[in-house]
Amino acid sequence: MRHRSLQAIAGLTLFAGGIAFSSAAETVKGDPAKAAPIVERLCMACHGQDGNSLVPSFPKLAGQRPEYLLHEMQEYKTKHRDNEMMSPVVLELSAADMANLAVYFAAQKPVPGTPTEPGLLALGKKIYLEGNSESGLPSCDGCHEENGNGSARFPRIAGQNPEYTLEQFHLYATGKRKFGKKIMVTVAERITEQEAKAVAEYISSMP
Amino acid sequence: MKPTLIFLALAGMAGLSVAAETAQPHAAGIESKGYLWNKPNKTLTRALKQKADPEKGKIAYEECRGCHKADASGRPDAGYPQLAGQHTEVLIKQMLDTRSGRRDNPRMHPFIEADAIPTKSIPDVAAYLHGLPVPDTNLKGAGKNLEHGKALYDKDCGNCHGAAGEGNGKEFHPKVASQHYPYLYRESMDVRDGIRRNADTKMVKILKSYSDEDIAAVSDYMSRLPPVQ
Repeated sequence: MRHRSLQAIAGLTLFAGGIAFSSAAETVKGDPAKAAPIVERLCMACHGQDGNSLVPSFPKLAGQRPEYLLHEMQEYKTKHRDNEMMSPVVLELSAADMANLAVYFAAQKPVPGTPTEPGLLALGKKIYLEGNSESGLPSCDGCHEENGNGSARFPRIAGQNPEYTLEQFHLYATGKRKFGKKIMVTVAERITEQEAKAVAEYISSMP
Repeated sequence: MKPTLIFLALAGMAGLSVAAETAQPHAAGIESKGYLWNKPNKTLTRALKQKADPEKGKIAYEECRGCHKADASGRPDAGYPQLAGQHTEVLIKQMLDTRSGRRDNPRMHPFIEADAIPTKSIPDVAAYLHGLPVPDTNLKGAGKNLEHGKALYDKDCGNCHGAAGEGNGKEFHPKVASQHYPYLYRESMDVRDGIRRNADTKMVKILKSYSDEDIAAVSDYMSRLPPVQ
């Protein structure tokens, strides 16, 4: 496994392409005030000034784990995670900028989402908490916690835009998103389209 | 039919893609010449010697919880075993055998690969699981043939797995008391039929004379042995 350390945050070890973005409970050190002008210039058009993106295909960042935010920006920069919108943006960011942005968005208050297909919520909740024992699909709460708040190792997903969540399943299933490769790729391969839609709806409804 | 294919057929896959399920390594097992089921290799020896940290293991276990559950009670309907209280040596050996492909488990394999759990975390996870309280809520069998099950157990199984089903960590003999019935039944069948390729050859020999009904009876008996902490 390749290891890479970021100078912006003392002692935080990243597993490039692996699942763990923090080996311990260290938090990202940054200055949210320094992030504010960058947010206005580069981020808010898509993610909203407070990180509660109103565009369904763009992820909400408000209240997200700072370790995860930092790790993903780094992933865009190294093209481990490739995206035509994000890749040019992160090229403008220094290591310190990314740490400041991670702390800034982590500190914003998340606004719960509005499910678009309430009829799918019951199935989504079942998948989220129980998985599917027929297909070997693990439950989501095992890593992302029952409340969807994640942990130092796994991102917060509660309240996320369903369109974005669903797209991530598709990216994992087709090998286009490799972060957490075996685990989320396997999940995405085993989940059905209907289950993925339902669980994305349920996640969006979580406060 | 290859074990992998049998597994997939049994599992009744409902997902969109099962291609990756078959992509797991294959290590020499019971079908190979000179097979010794408990022969220690370098990785196993190192893992057994490592000073384990259950607190770290609790964190590393997070990605196992989606199937084995937070209290490590497993999922009997899915065939996921209860792991709480199991011997550390048994857990370490089985995790490593599953990773290397000596024990075929395409369903679990992506979650035990090195990118999902570093090798040094395996003893930590085992230590954490060993310290968890053994639940008594496991799924039992039908309870129809328990006397026969007990007679078989006392005659053939207790020597290694212990009179109370407590197992023996040093010898890699798993604790079987209060394990889920469907898991005990499936694994015993697989040992008998050569599908469980990391099995103890002595156990294979014993089970060769067992009918499906015998295996059901003895599995039912084991599932009803009270939890041994």
